Amino acid sequence: MTRLIVNGAEQVVAAPPEARLSTVLRDGLGLTGTKIGCDAGDCGACTVLVDGAQVCACLVPLGQAEGARVQTVEGLAADPMGAALQHAFQAHGAAQCGYCTPGMLMAAMEVLQASPRPAEAQVMAALGGVLCRCTGYRKIVTAVMEAHRFLDAPAAPLPEAGQAVGARMGRADGWPKLDGREAYGADAAPADALWLRPVRSPHAHARFTLGDTAPLLARHPGLERVLAAADVPGRNGYGIYPDIKDQAVFAEGLVRYRGDVVCALVGTREAVEAVRVEELPLDWEVLPPLAEPGAALAEGAPALHERWPDNVLTTGRVRRGDAAAALAASVHVAEGRWQTSFVEHAYVEPEAGWARRVGDRIEVFASTQAPYMDLEEVAGVLGLPHAAVRIVPTACGGGFGGKLDVAVQPMLAIAAWLLRRSVRATWSRSESMASSTKRHPARIEARAGCDAEGRLTALEFEGIYDTGAYASWGPTVAGRVPAHSTGPYRVPHVRSRARAVLTNNPPSGAFRGFGVPQAAIAQEALWDRLADAAGIDRLEFRLINALRAGDATATGQVIAASAGLPACLEALRPRWAALREEAAAENAAGGPLRHGVGIACMWYGIGNTGMSNPSTMRITLEPGGRLAFHNGAVDIGQGSTTVLLQIAADALGLPASAFALVLGDTDLTADAGKTSASRQTFVSGRAAMEAGLALRDAILLRANAGPEGRLALSDGMLTVDGRPLHLEAPLEGLGRFDPPTVPLDADGQGVPYATYGFAAQIAALAVDTELGTIRLKRIVAAHDVGRAINPLLVEGQIEGGIAQGIGLALMEEYLPGRTENLHDYLIPTVGDVPAIESILIEDPEPLGPYGAKGIGEPALVPTAPAIFSAIRDATGAEINRIPALPHRVLEAIRRKEGAG
Amino acid sequence: MYDFEYHKPGSLADAVKLLSADPDARPISGGQTLLPALKHRLNKPTSVVDLSGIAELKGIKKEGNKLVIGALAKHFEVATSPEVKAAIPALAQMAGTIGDTQVRNRGTIGGSVANNDPAADYPSAVLGLNATIVTDKRRIAADDFFQGMFTTALEPGELLVAIEFPIPEKAGYAKMRNPASRYVMAGAFIAKTGGAVRVAINGAGPGVFRQTEMETALAANWSPDAVANIKQDADGLNSDIHGSAEYRAHLVTVMAKRAIAAAG
Repeated sequence: MTRLIVNGAEQVVAAPPEARLSTVLRDGLGLTGTKIGCDAGDCGACTVLVDGAQVCACLVPLGQAEGARVQTVEGLAADPMGAALQHAFQAHGAAQCGYCTPGMLMAAMEVLQASPRPAEAQVMAALGGVLCRCTGYRKIVTAVMEAHRFLDAPAAPLPEAGQAVGARMGRADGWPKLDGREAYGADAAPADALWLRPVRSPHAHARFTLGDTAPLLARHPGLERVLAAADVPGRNGYGIYPDIKDQAVFAEGLVRYRGDVVCALVGTREAVEAVRVEELPLDWEVLPPLAEPGAALAEGAPALHERWPDNVLTTGRVRRGDAAAALAASVHVAEGRWQTSFVEHAYVEPEAGWARRVGDRIEVFASTQAPYMDLEEVAGVLGLPHAAVRIVPTACGGGFGGKLDVAVQPMLAIAAWLLRRSVRATWSRSESMASSTKRHPARIEARAGCDAEGRLTALEFEGIYDTGAYASWGPTVAGRVPAHSTGPYRVPHVRSRARAVLTNNPPSGAFRGFGVPQAAIAQEALWDRLADAAGIDRLEFRLINALRAGDATATGQVIAASAGLPACLEALRPRWAALREEAAAENAAGGPLRHGVGIACMWYGIGNTGMSNPSTMRITLEPGGRLAFHNGAVDIGQGSTTVLLQIAADALGLPASAFALVLGDTDLTADAGKTSASRQTFVSGRAAMEAGLALRDAILLRANAGPEGRLALSDGMLTVDGRPLHLEAPLEGLGRFDPPTVPLDADGQGVPYATYGFAAQIAALAVDTELGTIRLKRIVAAHDVGRAINPLLVEGQIEGGIAQGIGLALMEEYLPGRTENLHDYLIPTVGDVPAIESILIEDPEPLGPYGAKGIGEPALVPTAPAIFSAIRDATGAEINRIPALPHRVLEAIRRKEGAG
Repeated sequence: MYDFEYHKPGSLADAVKLLSADPDARPISGGQTLLPALKHRLNKPTSVVDLSGIAELKGIKKEGNKLVIGALAKHFEVATSPEVKAAIPALAQMAGTIGDTQVRNRGTIGGSVANNDPAADYPSAVLGLNATIVTDKRRIAADDFFQGMFTTALEPGELLVAIEFPIPEKAGYAKMRNPASRYVMAGAFIAKTGGAVRVAINGAGPGVFRQTEMETALAANWSPDAVANIKQDADGLNSDIHGSAEYRAHLVTVMAKRAIAAAG
């Protein structure tokens, strides 16, 4: 028995002294506000205070906490500074997905207890050990520094009716993320649920046989079942595309990457964890892997899947004009080759969930970005009609594209279906990293030209994207890249091709930008070289070529409206001049530090490429006055729950606070489509607006009021222009929107997207030319978002996207089998993200709700190329192997010096 | 995790008894290294002996011209100790840059030195300052203590009790951390103590080592320029996904220059 003082109350726990404090808090005391992200002291999600000092609870054996004072997020509100900190987080948008938030709050409390008004450096030091993948940290730092201002201040009032759009409103789903109540995939399973543990391939490519598992079951009481391919009731395959179900739930004698599931152990937690992999009756015949696309494309290479004999999953193309002839006629030509790496999503919440069988239906509760796609997959593997499946998304601790593919869902559904018991699973960090999808590594060759005045003439682009062992979102990436390969510029002659190539690597899937960030690195590097060759300032060069309303893109689409890139560049111009002057002054002082400023632009088509992607939203008003917003769009931290509410509120004409929220449950909400492609604000937002307007029309009709009628709802009573309106039956407003597109033809001509986000970013940095290290000093980001429905959340997306762009540019390189944890593979920490200035440009999109379009992915795309532009500005070195790790930067500097 | 016995002795003698009785027992102090290793089953002791309750292993004090730091001193304590800051500021500064705040709040100097991770910080301070390792059985010179990657002169069952650091005239530490892993790619702890110069390099090789060519040069001319042209031999240095041996060799010279500059 161990005695602890937890949040001021004495607790006596029976767990053994070697048990981790994190486990004791969560499983022993039910304090699930303390999160587990890695169980190895790397991510800091489990940070709690022990005798006032922040520690990773996963690295404290219970025996060392005997008699100690333990403070967790659940006790925060009782402390005046703790409550103030929570208010500061809510007001500053410091929590997005919320999974790192309890750890952040507790780490911040350590410094606030010592210094109620801490300096920025103190806050940065205090938060240095807690990873956040969503926010880019800046709003967290501000919230901690400003917490003292919230000690006596009342909470900010919510916007009035008609004032929600454009308001810097705190998250509608914010508070549960701040007090530990939010239930993520691992937090809500029933106590008696069995545990499922997959057994994965340690080999990239192998054949195997699984022998009789009866002796194993006999040896391990509590182990209920070993599930394998033969146990799958329906189709043993899943995949994003309806006609490509190439990934088996349980491999059928052949594994194609480290992470393929061979079988799954189901039983009590103790039993499934006690089984050693060596005990399983597995025989392996290891096969040589196709380790990279070059090997997969080589003549005579074995086919990974029969269906794709040349290992080419998809080829995307755009052809317009005569690029070769135009290049030959160009005054200036630049060309280059680039290579990027696998990038891990590194959401701090590992994949988790649980499932139960209810009669002849199956219910799956899991962390996901795409409940309706999960529903189709679960129905498929169980061989059930869609109506027999219910998906309830839990809170999602970060996705970024990685939780668009199913993970725990099919296995849990099969286990719960067959065993008729609740079954839960949580991937370990290593398992999550080994098995989940990645950003495609790209090898790009590109060539571009311009005339003497700096007008772009032509682009040739050839991209080979390593799509890994299964299709996942590979076809989407290969389709999207050529359509974006010119960047947001007028380029009259284009020949562009992207191929997704199958290898024995982890499946590459969707990751914030779908291949576009990799392509942007190549494009923007070419523009810098052409600008220099033409003797034109790099910003002005981009402005000369920027797409404007009325221009045609390489796919032949005429951009009708909302093309705000010129406005972005003009907004940046003064900052560009000032930062360049600053860098020049610092460089004049000499020394090993060289300062530079870079710039890059981007565009991003919102929604699916040339394909239908509708969303349906529903608002109901019951006779008793209950107003409910049925919203099936999954908020993975980006803020759709809040933004769609703001839109619906203004469309209806009632304040946001009047709504009850019915969120993401396939039994209760309509299909809003997946949370991907930056589409929820634009597509679901328009649907929410239509739903609000439809309900408003229905109300006004019944009240016999004009279009300007003022609605009010208080104490269950609806009034219109002050007159009560009694309802006999519920009213409903239904909104549906599917952005108009035209599929691309064989030459990539068509209207792939209804609208595009545009942006330009500046990076200012210093290169240590002795070490090859980069210190970022500032990022200035100008984004055309059409209309900022919630500027606070838009800034949050920009800052978070920039942080991921920094990781892509400077540190993140996933190597299968070697960096499957968060200490060999680190994501940017608070110290890696510099000051960020966001400039919001609002060039309204007529199709969007109140003019809005998306921001999720656009935020990330220009950051890495802006950083490389700045490194080149500082040192002359061209970065073409990414990430720009110090030894590569140093090599590039030496290459430049050698060539110079 | 898996089952093992957990002991929490109250005295050094009891701890030694437990560790001597069971060759597969492992001591635990801050737990920042052992717990992750247990989780990944890289280390499978039959029992764990928790040292955190042993008063004899605690404390930081100045004794004449030496600074004596108990094995259980946490990185945070070393970083903020007035005694350390006054006597060997470079050591306090080093302690303040180990890992992150959570690690500094739990991790101990004894644990770090006894573990001798090639990427750890403290071993270069111990070697560069010519410290003496005091165990429950004997006193070991720094030059004899570190024996390559994760290997030291400690015998099974022998416990590190304290480290005695001679107070130098000058000392400086500089390190380069890999941005992706935060591991030390190369670090240099350089000290002038009683007129003698020692240059200890961590991170770059399989274990901490002395750079004697630099020591000779600095004894004649204590300035960054003295080492600027001394090239570290890349032979035998670490080469991995974070950088080649040649890159690390290059870093050794840069870090040595910066350590001298920091020492003043």
